[in-house]
Amino acid sequence: MSQKFLSKKRRGDEEYKGPVKKISIKQSKNERGRGSKSDGVVSSSSPALNSDSNAGDDDALIPKMAMLNADAIIYASQSENSYSSNDPVSKLFGKQDFSNILLKPDHESRPLWINPINGTITLEAFSPIAEQAQDFLIAISEPISRPAHIHEYKLTPYSLYAAVSVGLETEDIIEVLNRLSKIQIPESIINLIRQCTISYGKVKLVLKQNRYFVESSYPDTLQKLLQDPIIAAARLVNSEDEKAGIFKEKAPSLNGLVIVPPQKPPEKSAEGKPETNTEEASKDAKKDGSDLFHTVNVKKRCNELDYPMMEEYDFRNDNNLAPLDIDLKPITVIRPYQEKCLSKMFGNGRARSGIIVLPCGAGKTLVGITAACTIKKSTLVLCTSGVSVMQWKQQFLQWSNIRDSQIAVFTSDQKEKFSGPSGIVISTYSMVANTRNRSHEAQRMMDFIKGREWGFVLLDEVHVVPANMFRRVVTTIAAHTKLGLTATLVREDDKISDLNFLIGPKLYEANWLDLASKGHIANVQCAEVWCPMTPEFYGEYLRANSRKRTLLYVMNPKKFQACQYLIRYHEERGDKIIVFSDNVFALRAYAIKLGCFFIYGKTQPQERIRILQNFQYNPKVGDTSIDLPEATCLIQISSHYGSRRQEAQRLGRILRAKRRNDEGFNAFFYSLVSQDTQEMFYSTKRQQFLIDQGYAFKVITKLDGMEKAPNLVYQKKEEQVRLLNEVLEANESDAAIDDDVEANADDLPGTTTSTNFERIPGYTRSSASLKSLSGADGMSYLESDGQTFRKAIGVGGGSLEHLKGNKGKGKKRQAEEKAQQNPFFKKYRKK
Amino acid sequence: MVKAVKGTILKCDPAVKQVILSMNNSEREPFIIEDLDETHLFVDTAHVERIKRRVEQLLEENTYKIEQLDPKQ
Repeated sequence: MSQKFLSKKRRGDEEYKGPVKKISIKQSKNERGRGSKSDGVVSSSSPALNSDSNAGDDDALIPKMAMLNADAIIYASQSENSYSSNDPVSKLFGKQDFSNILLKPDHESRPLWINPINGTITLEAFSPIAEQAQDFLIAISEPISRPAHIHEYKLTPYSLYAAVSVGLETEDIIEVLNRLSKIQIPESIINLIRQCTISYGKVKLVLKQNRYFVESSYPDTLQKLLQDPIIAAARLVNSEDEKAGIFKEKAPSLNGLVIVPPQKPPEKSAEGKPETNTEEASKDAKKDGSDLFHTVNVKKRCNELDYPMMEEYDFRNDNNLAPLDIDLKPITVIRPYQEKCLSKMFGNGRARSGIIVLPCGAGKTLVGITAACTIKKSTLVLCTSGVSVMQWKQQFLQWSNIRDSQIAVFTSDQKEKFSGPSGIVISTYSMVANTRNRSHEAQRMMDFIKGREWGFVLLDEVHVVPANMFRRVVTTIAAHTKLGLTATLVREDDKISDLNFLIGPKLYEANWLDLASKGHIANVQCAEVWCPMTPEFYGEYLRANSRKRTLLYVMNPKKFQACQYLIRYHEERGDKIIVFSDNVFALRAYAIKLGCFFIYGKTQPQERIRILQNFQYNPKVGDTSIDLPEATCLIQISSHYGSRRQEAQRLGRILRAKRRNDEGFNAFFYSLVSQDTQEMFYSTKRQQFLIDQGYAFKVITKLDGMEKAPNLVYQKKEEQVRLLNEVLEANESDAAIDDDVEANADDLPGTTTSTNFERIPGYTRSSASLKSLSGADGMSYLESDGQTFRKAIGVGGGSLEHLKGNKGKGKKRQAEEKAQQNPFFKKYRKK
Repeated sequence: MVKAVKGTILKCDPAVKQVILSMNNSEREPFIIEDLDETHLFVDTAHVERIKRRVEQLLEENTYKIEQLDPKQ
């Protein structure tokens, strides 16, 4: 990726080497004892902080997590004295005053700055070399915010771990960073990079020919691991030959995925070029469960020893697992960014486990299917709901040449097995993780799933799966490769970091704006429309309890009018419109009043299909979980408190608009918000994720021309009062959120069909460390000039008689209560 | 005889007026002397500062701040 770049810049780099060296000499006094067994370079330059010797031991699965903070604090205290500037404004910046850091003489041609205290990287996205720099940064750091001109990234232990796991070396990272940086890389950052990469990626757990091998290019490391009793116990010792435990072999090569590389079989002697030492640690995974158990132990122990293992699967040399005859259909076209994801996954000719983050509508499914077609082994697909199970199946049939009989579906309604030695099973997380009693049939199906090895496990929407459920899934299924797919790596709880170690590092994260500018997803204009509350509604709002409040601000007559106005306006432009509401009561009221179709949980399937088909010809209907590529305009009248994920998912409904490649085409995303209510708060919060992806929300405080629009609903005071009375008389349960799709018992909280995440009013969920993977920290709000947009809106006002709108919804009461028992919800804390 | 009461005229938008009304109703001593129209109120001058603070506070509650996402930073 950065190879070309490396050589191009090599010269300029030399001059900066000096000071770096000095620093590391000074620092090496602090050296820690740990890790000294590894090779010389590393130990002599590992300027560890004393405080970190405890870090990483706390949780065996999450090594070194606390390190960044320790680093930052210590560095800050060290350098406090050295910053003495006479500049009168310096004190305003406190420790963030970096005015004494010298720019490199040729800084103008370099695109980024690094904050020595917190590892934030600021990139000039307009620089000519920004594109290469982005590729590099995305590999080593977390994107925090990526609007049009200035991007922010952050170095974290996780991101560095991910970097190492895709094959970057410590020194390369530092070197390339130095070339790109306008300033000398601060020593604190060098320390961070060294510490985080020193042990990561040295040890790999490779599954080949059905044996697990512990592989490392550092013989010392292997010897060290071997001395550990737990690992030694798991080592398979061949009785004939004492030395059989250690193999040497050539490093795997990447010779095009389709061609089997000329790789020698493992040799027992040191003959072949010993680029890689392979130690056979555990054995034939096929024999029985105890082997699997060993593997887990070894893995855990390695984490404890600070040598987290990366898992790789040498699928081309796996002869034991029956191959699956699956290929992409010739007409299937892979987009460049999808190829990029896959190249990270199969970077060295083996399959790596990890997570791929792509926006909604950018073809995650196809990435998953292509990966399955590359590995060509039995595949298990896990998704969040029964509806998406069917979608996956249909997509597999659409894009690949798999036969219908080879795809089996395992849900509460359908329990099929595939015929033949290999195939694909699609199921939901809950079905597989279920520990309660199962029906006989389901139990048989589970035994079938557990009793075989899977070449590849695809985990859809990984961000919504509770961590404990995940652990269960990951540990009960013998899988060689795991790939997680998601659009929004944001969780409203703090479990995102678990995913990292349960599945693997994040392999790729796409830039939304970039995809939009290349036409892979639609350009979207986002707007937040403020609707004033009428005095009567607001008076009641102030008196009501929080559930009623929700209903009151959703049913605000001014919002009705705004909705009606927007629908009419967009209809005249020829847009197809979806209106989303989380609340069935409101949904029904809007639909009836505005004369449009609506779909919600209780809608009968026939009715649903009829409405959806109708949508192709008439702009009318909405739904959260069925693809409606015709939709080009989305209006949300009520939403799920502050859920950033829901916002992103809804936006995703219009990202795949078919017309996206028409010249000047824009999709529209409106949030209607009642002024001076809690909705304002939630709305801003919800937008954070999209803002960090570079979307700008325009605030429209007044829809021009709305007063003059004819036939608006609820214009008379009496009508408004009548509406108010209806709302007040409404059952409390009407304020509950309902879903548009009949919730399935095994749907997870937070999926499109079951939207009960984050919904206890007055409570916030702690979201502290989502950031590492989500890019959710260090949020910044960005707003651009709304003039043009407002003007565009102002032109409306014809007199079409029939209006349309639609619906969205939330979920069923009981399911909701059930979900509140979910451990997921225990994370609430009072505001 | 004409009785004069000293007070202050508040001009506010309809929503804020509702806030003040509900505040008034929850007090032992009402401070609103006269409810003039949609956007005007005549209130006891002594309470003006307190009303301002309360309204401010209420509107503040509906404003999202980025720090709330991550208290550690």
